[in-house]
Amino acid sequence: MIITLRNVNKTYPGVVPLHVLKDINLEIARGELVSIMGASGSGKSTLLNILGILDNYDSGEYRLDGVEIRNLSENRAAELRNRMIGFVFQSFNLIGYKNALENVALPLYYQGMSRRKRNALAMEQLERLGLADRATHLPGELSGGQKQRVAIARAIVTKPSIILADEPTGALDSHTSKEVMEIFRQLNAEGMTIVIVTHDPGVGAATNRIIRIVDGEIVNQDA
Amino acid sequence: MRLTIFQLENWREIGATLARNKTRTFLTAFGIFWGTAMLAMLLGGAEGFKGIMSRNFAGLATNMGGMGSNPRSISYMGFNKGSYWTLTTEDVDDIRRIAPAIEYSSAINGRSVTGVYSVRSKAAQAMGIEPEYGKIMLPVIYEGRFINARDYSETRKVVVLGRNIASELFGNESPIGKRLSLNGVYFTCIGVAGQVGEASIMGRIDDNYIIPGSTLRQAFNQGNSVGFFIYTAPAGHKPDENEAAIRRFLSGRHAIHPADSQAFWFMDLSEMFDQINSIFMGIAILAGFVGAGSLLAGVIGVGNIMWIVVKERTHEFGIRRAIGATPADITVQVLSESVLLTLVAGTAGVCFATIVLGIVDYFTTDPMLGKAGFEISFGLALAIVATFFVLGSAAGTLPAIKAMRIKPIEALRDK
Repeated sequence: MIITLRNVNKTYPGVVPLHVLKDINLEIARGELVSIMGASGSGKSTLLNILGILDNYDSGEYRLDGVEIRNLSENRAAELRNRMIGFVFQSFNLIGYKNALENVALPLYYQGMSRRKRNALAMEQLERLGLADRATHLPGELSGGQKQRVAIARAIVTKPSIILADEPTGALDSHTSKEVMEIFRQLNAEGMTIVIVTHDPGVGAATNRIIRIVDGEIVNQDA
Repeated sequence: MRLTIFQLENWREIGATLARNKTRTFLTAFGIFWGTAMLAMLLGGAEGFKGIMSRNFAGLATNMGGMGSNPRSISYMGFNKGSYWTLTTEDVDDIRRIAPAIEYSSAINGRSVTGVYSVRSKAAQAMGIEPEYGKIMLPVIYEGRFINARDYSETRKVVVLGRNIASELFGNESPIGKRLSLNGVYFTCIGVAGQVGEASIMGRIDDNYIIPGSTLRQAFNQGNSVGFFIYTAPAGHKPDENEAAIRRFLSGRHAIHPADSQAFWFMDLSEMFDQINSIFMGIAILAGFVGAGSLLAGVIGVGNIMWIVVKERTHEFGIRRAIGATPADITVQVLSESVLLTLVAGTAGVCFATIVLGIVDYFTTDPMLGKAGFEISFGLALAIVATFFVLGSAAGTLPAIKAMRIKPIEALRDK
């Protein structure tokens, strides 16, 4: 199992504390293509943030690829995010003043890799996603689908254990969405574990397993 | 920490970030550039202004005083109001004996003469002096020597030519050893002299015939009378300390009413220098004050812009954190940016100020008086850049810490 959650709880403190995740138990095996579906406010984004070590949980246990994720220092969390997780966001989250190649190479920069080496690796990923001719373009000069492909290239350039995608097709038209999902399926076919958070049934249908979450609880896990 | 300020990769990244955000970089850099330039120009300008004022007084003892006779203003012992009395060589000898604060002194006699050499002539003032004159007025000897004690005691007919006179009478020829006549009396030229500053008594040395006072009195029939008397006070004393003793003594000898204050004139250059020094002090304080102000404004500007930069880039920092930047990476990045900007822009500012000061110095250089000294020392330039570097980095620290504290998840939400 690459991801194991045992009785994970998360409450946002406040005047009325908000119990967003209730005793979440979840296992995701290596090489799976999974979607987490739920309405907005159901807790699916919180779950993704916890999986991505961007947020803490209150109780329970979370193991990512054998590493227990609990009370990590910011530095350790940053290192694990860098090496084990590739993020794909709805709004792409590319750095506007860096060109496609530099955006893709940035995670490798934070590994301390030399410029030449990381640019070579980044170029390799851009070629794989058919964006070699767009390498020197700034994100503002790319279409939505191209931006998301650059973001995917950035997510996989470190060869992470898992890709976490948060509404990756939310900002794309249906045709481009299909292309992006096709890329995810292809990556999955090559052995990459992918978790996609979405409320789009079409996206969910394109994955191999759907985890439905309602009011902070997992209601069923279709195999 | 994988990345430190010592790694080339970090600096490449900083350079790329700064280069891609030109407007922001330019605005920040311009604030620092202007701050350092203003500070350096102010300090250099104050120095140059001081140079302009003080070069006028160069070659002049600053604790110098002088005195001479005026007509009586009160009738006394048979002498009518308005009658003249004359200072004599005996008076001068006695003043030296009784005055409490005289270090060097010289009686001065003057006379208009026409100097003739070969076919050329030049009318000017002949100034009869004593050897210690050279310790009060500090002349510059261009050629030969100045009047010495034996010239004076042996009443030699020797002359030191002012530089302008020498060039008029002799052209490019050396006047040393040549004989020329002053109103028909022949003198041997022993030297050519001039003065550095503008301030003078009886005209600049450059435009005078300088001869021993004893010779002048004898050759031009001035008996034992003396035109006036100049002196310096020893260290720790002021020239005007001598005034009361001289008045008391000379009043008795020359039948001057004890209350007749107008029968003498006295001057005290040290008072003037005190005034000038307080003006310099004022200028220095003002320059320091304004300079510190511009320094502070520059540093606050850096801090302010870095603060805005951090706010503006929160989302970017969130992305960087999500893909593996540690809080320290972000801090190092923000700090390195402000450090690099401060260093480059600060150095440029000081260089710019140096160029401006150099131009001003070029245009205020006087062929005779030399440079005014619109300049800052290398040490001061380093100190200005170092101060900006330290304060600029300090100003960048707060925003950098703020950037570090932002949680990646919050930063990603920030749009």
